[in-house]
Amino acid sequence: MKIVVCVSHVPDTATKIVVGSDNKTIDANGVTYVLNPYDEIAVEEALKTKEAQGGDVVVVSVGPDNNKESIRKALAMGADSGVLLKDDNYRDSVGVAKALAEEIKAQDAQIVFFGKQSVDYDNSIVGQLTAEMLGYNCVSVAVDLKLDGEKITAEREIEGGREVIETSLPAVITCQKGLNEPRYAALKGIMAAKRKTIEEKDAAVSENSVEILEMKKPAPKEPGKIVGTDSSAVPELVRLLKEEAKVI
Amino acid sequence: MITKTNPDEIQSYLVDAANFKGNCSAVYFPETHDDIVEIVKEANNNKTEITVAGNRTGLTGSGIPSKGIVISTEKLNRILEINKDKKYAIVQPGVLLSELQDKVSEHGLLYAPDPTETNCFIGGTVATNASGSKSFKYDATRNFVEALKIILPDGEQLNLVRGENFADGNTLILKTESAKKITIELADYKMPSTKNAAGYFSKPDMDAIDLFIGSEGTLGIFSEIKIRLIDKPENILSAVIFFNDESSALNFIDDLRLSSLNPKEINNSENINVLGLEYFDKNSLKFLESDYPKIPDEADAAVWIEHETNKESEERIFNSIAESINKHNGNNEKSWFALNLKDRKGFQDFRHAVSWKVSEYITKQNVQKVGTDSAVPVKHFRIFYDYIKGLAINSKIAYLVYGHFGDCHVHLNLLPKNNDEYKIARDVYRLICQKAIDLNGTISAEHGIGKLKHEYLEMMYGRSAIKQMAKIKKELDPNFILCIGNIFSSKYLIDQKL
Repeated sequence: MKIVVCVSHVPDTATKIVVGSDNKTIDANGVTYVLNPYDEIAVEEALKTKEAQGGDVVVVSVGPDNNKESIRKALAMGADSGVLLKDDNYRDSVGVAKALAEEIKAQDAQIVFFGKQSVDYDNSIVGQLTAEMLGYNCVSVAVDLKLDGEKITAEREIEGGREVIETSLPAVITCQKGLNEPRYAALKGIMAAKRKTIEEKDAAVSENSVEILEMKKPAPKEPGKIVGTDSSAVPELVRLLKEEAKVI
Repeated sequence: MITKTNPDEIQSYLVDAANFKGNCSAVYFPETHDDIVEIVKEANNNKTEITVAGNRTGLTGSGIPSKGIVISTEKLNRILEINKDKKYAIVQPGVLLSELQDKVSEHGLLYAPDPTETNCFIGGTVATNASGSKSFKYDATRNFVEALKIILPDGEQLNLVRGENFADGNTLILKTESAKKITIELADYKMPSTKNAAGYFSKPDMDAIDLFIGSEGTLGIFSEIKIRLIDKPENILSAVIFFNDESSALNFIDDLRLSSLNPKEINNSENINVLGLEYFDKNSLKFLESDYPKIPDEADAAVWIEHETNKESEERIFNSIAESINKHNGNNEKSWFALNLKDRKGFQDFRHAVSWKVSEYITKQNVQKVGTDSAVPVKHFRIFYDYIKGLAINSKIAYLVYGHFGDCHVHLNLLPKNNDEYKIARDVYRLICQKAIDLNGTISAEHGIGKLKHEYLEMMYGRSAIKQMAKIKKELDPNFILCIGNIFSSKYLIDQKL
C-alpha cells in the first residue's frame, strides 16, 4: 500500500517571533524551524501503518528548499522516500492542498496522513481541503485509528467528547496529540536516511485566494496587580475578582 | 522587605530536595544589597544564626537552618546586565538557572555550567560550585565566575574580581570596601585531581575569589555575581544509546572519554570532544520505564551523550560516534537520536527524571536516601565501579546507579525500606567513601558537604584540615552566625581543644 504523509516546516514553538519590516511576514532571523509537532504524530502513524500492513511511506512537503530538513527528519524516523514540491513564495491553504493533491494522485496513495494543523498559520484546513480535492474520505483530529482491510474505524475529538467514525479507504487522516507517541530517530534510521533521496519538483501552479494584509503581535498582557500582602487585602481582592475580573 | 514568621508560611524553607529537615524563627526576603547588609548587621549584633536559602534544590541540607533566621534570595532575582560583546552577565543570586540560560541564549550565548536541576538559583550554584552533565567539557561553575560582590558576616562589603587578588603562598589578605584588612591563613591540604566539591578550595597562591566559590555560604553572602559566557554552539548532537550489557556501555564511555580528554574547551573539530557522558544502569532504567515506554525492554544500561557540532563538523562527528556505538554493540535500532531542540530537551528531562524520581520516592516513603557523590581519577574508575556495585548487590537493598561517568563521578543511590536497611546502607556508603579516598578521589564531586557529610570530609582530609577550615571561617565570622553547620560541625568553631 502506498502511504503518504504530508509535513510542514514551521518555526519552533519555543522561538520568539518578530514581525518583519513589511508587516506581512515574520522575521526569519534567528528563528529555528522544526518539523511541525502534529506532523511528527502523522509520520509515526504512517510508520505504524506500514509496519502493520506493509507498503511504502512517502513524505511530501510544499515550500522552499529548507523544508528538506523536516523531510529528512521524517526519513530518519523511518519513512522510505521524500518529495519536495518547491515554492519559495507564500501560498495559501488552498494552494498548498492543490499541490499536495496533485502529487498524492500521482503517487496513487491509499491513505494520507496530516498533522491536524501546522503551528505556523494554524488554519487546520489543508488535510480536509486535500481530501475534498481528491474525493477521498476524511477523518480529522483523529485520536485513535484502526485499519482492517479497506475499513477504517477512527475516534476523533469533538467539543466535549469523542465520536467514533467508520469509513473506508482511500482516506485522509489528520492526526491529533494522543493518537500515538512519535518515536525518536535511531542510528540505523539516520544512516539509512542519508542514502534516501528527496525528489524535487515545482509545486503545481496556484493563485492565492487569500492575501495577508497585515501581521501584528497581540497586545501585551497587562501587568498583574498586588492588592496587599496580608489578610486585610482580602475584601478588596474579592471585590476585584467579582467586579473587574468577573470570575466569581 | 517581607518577613515571614508564620510556621505554615515558612514550612517550605525547612526542607530540601534530600528531605533534610530543619528549624528557624523567621524567613527574610531582601530585595536589595542594602537589605541584606541590614539583616546581617542586626543578626551579628544579636548573634543570631543566619542560613542563606536558594531554591532548596540542594541535597545536603546546606540551605536548611538548624535555628535562627533564613535569608531567602528569591526576591533578588534580576539579571542586571548581559554583555554580548564582552560575553558576560551580571546577575543577582536569586536568578533561576533556567531563566539565565534562556536569556543569554537569546543573545547567541551560552552559560555552560548545567547542573541537572535547572530550578536552582545562580547564588546556590556558586555557593556549592555546582557542576553537572556539561562539566566534563567545561568544568564546574568556578570556571565561569568572574566577580563576586560579597557581604561578610559583619556586614562589610567585599568585591572580588578574578585575577586581581591572589594569596601569597598560604596567606591571603582581603580588603573590604571600607578598607578593613583581613588576613587569612589558608589550609594546606591537597585537593584531589578529580572534579571536587568537598570543603574550601585550597591551593598555594590561589585567587581569593576561589575561596568563596564552593564555600557553601559559610564565609559571606553574594549580592551580585558576574559570570563568563561563551558563544552558543551552532548545534548539539544528543543521543541516548542503549546497551544490552553494562560492560559494553562502560567500554563505550571509556573510549569516548579517552578521545575527549584533551584538549578541553577547544573546539577542535578534528577530534571528538564530548560535552558529557551520562550513565544509567538497568535499575535506573526500571525506575523510568513507566514514564518512558520507549526504553527498549532488553536494555541493561544507557548512555546519554552530547557533542557540540557545526555544519562543517556535524557529519564527521556523527560518523565517529556511530562507529563507537557499533564497535561496542550499542542498540542501533532502538537508541534515541535527537533531531531537534525538543528531542534534546526531552533527553535532558529524561536524565533529570532519574534524580527527580528518586526524590519523589524517598518523600513518599518518608525515608532518607543514601546517595554517593564520589568521583575518582580515570585510571581507577572501573575498579571503583565494580567495587561499589558489588557492595550494593551484597547489601540486598534496592539501589540504582547513574551519574556523570565522563567525569568518573557516580551517583549510587541506596533506597532502604526500613531502619535496619538504613543502617546497612550507611555502612555501605562509608565503605564507598573510603574507597574513593583510597583511590585519590573525592567523597563529594558536586553536591557539597552541607550538614550531612561532615564525617566523610574528615575521613578525606583529616581532622587538622577541618580545623584549618574552621580557622578561616572564624577570621571572617567571629560571632559564628553564618550558615553554621555547613561543611563542618559547629563544635570546631566553639571547642578550642578540637
